[in-house]
Amino acid sequence: MTTYTICIFTENTIGLLNRITIIFTRRRINIESLTVSETERKGVSRFTIVIKHESREAVEKLVRQIRKIVEVLAVFGYLNEDVVYNEIALFKIETPLGAKPLDIETINNQYKAWVVYWGLDYVVIEKTGTEEEIFTFFEYIKPHSILEFVRSGRVAVGKTEKGLVEYLPEAEWEYYL
Amino acid sequence: METVSVVPEKETITEEVKLITGSEALMRSLVAEGVDTIFGYPGGAIMPVYDALYDFQDQLHHILVRHEQGAAHAAEGYARITGRAGVCLVTSGPGATNLVTGIADALIDSTPMVCLIGQVGKSLLGTDAFQETDVIGVTMPISKWNYQVTNADEIPEIISKAFYIAQSGRPGPVVIDITKNAQQELMTKPFQYQCCQTLVSYRPRLIPKQDQVEKAAELINNAKKPYMLVGHGVLIAKAEKELLAFAEKTGIPVATTLLGQSAFPADHPLYAGWLGMHGNYGPNVMTNECDVLIGIGMRFDDRVTGNATLFAPQAKVVHIEIDPAEIDKIIKADAPVIGDAREVLNRLIPLVQPNDHTVWRNEFRKYDAIEEEKVKRPALAPTTEKIKMPEVIDLLSKKTNGEAVLVADVGQHQMMASAYYQYKRPNSLITSGGLGTMGFALPAAFGAKVGDPSREVIAIIGDGCFQMTIQELGTIAQSKLPVKAIILNNNYLGMVRQWQQLFYERRYSFVELQNPDFITIAKGFGIDGHTCNHREDLSASLDTLLNSDKPYLLEVIVEKEENVFPMVPAGTSVASIRLE
Ligand SMILES: Cc1ncc(C[n+]2csc(CCOP(=O)(O)OP(=O)(O)O)c2C)c(N)n1
Ligand SMILES: [Mg+2]
Repeated sequence: MTTYTICIFTENTIGLLNRITIIFTRRRINIESLTVSETERKGVSRFTIVIKHESREAVEKLVRQIRKIVEVLAVFGYLNEDVVYNEIALFKIETPLGAKPLDIETINNQYKAWVVYWGLDYVVIEKTGTEEEIFTFFEYIKPHSILEFVRSGRVAVGKTEKGLVEYLPEAEWEYYL
Repeated sequence: METVSVVPEKETITEEVKLITGSEALMRSLVAEGVDTIFGYPGGAIMPVYDALYDFQDQLHHILVRHEQGAAHAAEGYARITGRAGVCLVTSGPGATNLVTGIADALIDSTPMVCLIGQVGKSLLGTDAFQETDVIGVTMPISKWNYQVTNADEIPEIISKAFYIAQSGRPGPVVIDITKNAQQELMTKPFQYQCCQTLVSYRPRLIPKQDQVEKAAELINNAKKPYMLVGHGVLIAKAEKELLAFAEKTGIPVATTLLGQSAFPADHPLYAGWLGMHGNYGPNVMTNECDVLIGIGMRFDDRVTGNATLFAPQAKVVHIEIDPAEIDKIIKADAPVIGDAREVLNRLIPLVQPNDHTVWRNEFRKYDAIEEEKVKRPALAPTTEKIKMPEVIDLLSKKTNGEAVLVADVGQHQMMASAYYQYKRPNSLITSGGLGTMGFALPAAFGAKVGDPSREVIAIIGDGCFQMTIQELGTIAQSKLPVKAIILNNNYLGMVRQWQQLFYERRYSFVELQNPDFITIAKGFGIDGHTCNHREDLSASLDTLLNSDKPYLLEVIVEKEENVFPMVPAGTSVASIRLE
């Protein structure tokens, strides 16, 4: 199984997420993670979808099918080495009286994770990194009793020097500057 | 510079003063788009549009079908013969869901269609209101594009977009769901219609890349045994002349797919036949003999390839196709050329060398001789008491000089209609290929006749299929158009029975039909007809059908347990083709 990051640029219209996921469902491809946000261009959304698949060919076919959706501007299927990517994770950790105290220094320096909220008997720690880095930290923090754990799903940008302008040159988009 | 839906070139209608309702805007948009016919069925959620239609009857010819599925297939028939989008107008909920089969059919067979569907008012959306169905959700996977209009101002732009998307690139069905308030309310700005000719995110490539064309030409020029498979895309692109010129220059034999039938004249010396599960012997097995296979406007459907891994493994493949998603989908292309079939052929013709490939072409002949001997001759000169389907089609072909339009339903009779008619003119076989929708033929034949009344349109229908959309006899009777229909009655769901005979040890599981008296039914609808039971009456029966200037139904009682051959059993290599 190889991990692929599919980046889809679309017009920002109702129902697009549905249109896109239908294509995955029909081919029985499970979505590992999915994030959506508007890009630097107004009205252009970016979907980042992570899947695992053993066949590169199947992924190429998937990409072409997604491209067929009328509102889709461009689609890219990347291998991990082609993209810079990260996720963000939040850990809600119980800190009852008398429990082993958190080693904040290790958390900060070794794991590059930060406490972003101090509750009465819990804290929320934010960890940014790859899936692996997040799970390494997960293993480390587990003995402290995790009340809740959430990951954002991957965000990624391609490693080429090109920006969106090179990919979608035709349109006159408004920019966020 | 391109924006969402402009370029005021074709027709621009500007109304300065009066503000109009969404329904009237819809009518005017259709008129501006050049629509002349609507196949529809009214109901609560579309009543404001029907009310507006009352004033537009002279410009928009509305045909009241008897079931919305009939509207969809009629629109498909209309589109297949005219090349323009067929238009359906129906109500919400059940009206919309009754269209679903036709929409799915149009998508898989690349047929342009615009479905205008009523929807409950915007404020009721999502409340399980009376006749509210999530039409956008239901049709999302089966339409090329769909959109919900919730205010009147959107109508002109969305309608122009709908037609553009339905008719351009690889054509397909578009669904526009219009809430009742959008139909009723006044637009807030003057009506203005601009034909959409470009969209930012949707840009089908018509003109191929030159390097792709050159690579294809090189493969073709070096080929010793080239072979062309031609599909529906050639008809859609109206590239029949270019195909003929290309074939005649290169001397490459041409086979068609089921939907490609009539893209190349059947009486041309370069015509090899058709291929696929029930296609001709030579055209099927030669896919495994050729050195360069040229697919044009086709998608290597599994009914064409059989087991795809065993399909033409020796051949280099040139794939000319407008839909990039079809490239490498089933069969890997060594030279893909993305573009409109006509544009590609026009650029390819000057680059290919004249050739005639006589020796290679003659190799097809030995298979033709075997098929003639084993399949065709016994089928056309049978010793059975009952008439056989091929006899009917063959005689029909001769009587109409191969110039009629056959609209075939789905089953054994469909395959016989494809195999035994000598198609001489383009767009002459209209059938449900990709979806195999029983019940397609009667309404589609009607739609085709509406689209081109100058052509003789004859539906070829099975006794099973006929009962799926039999109610459209009412539509035909009311229109008075001389649509002709032939029922090939074997008292069986014949195609399924054939499979049960060949692959399930003759365990006939629910395939025998107790049929009604079709002629009495037709007469009840006011349509004349008769039954032909004997071979000696067949010729006169066909004459009666053809000479009628009114709709006419001919029922031919045929051999009950006849099988369609050749046959490539599903999932096997084309080399496993059976002749008996
Ligand atoms: C809507 C639909 N239901 C079921 C089928 C499966 N099917 C394919 S052919 C066929 C039999 C058609 O019978 P008939 O119309 O009598 O034609 P024949 O094969 O006898 O010529 C059936 C049931 C289908 N294609 N479409
Ligand atoms: Mg039958």
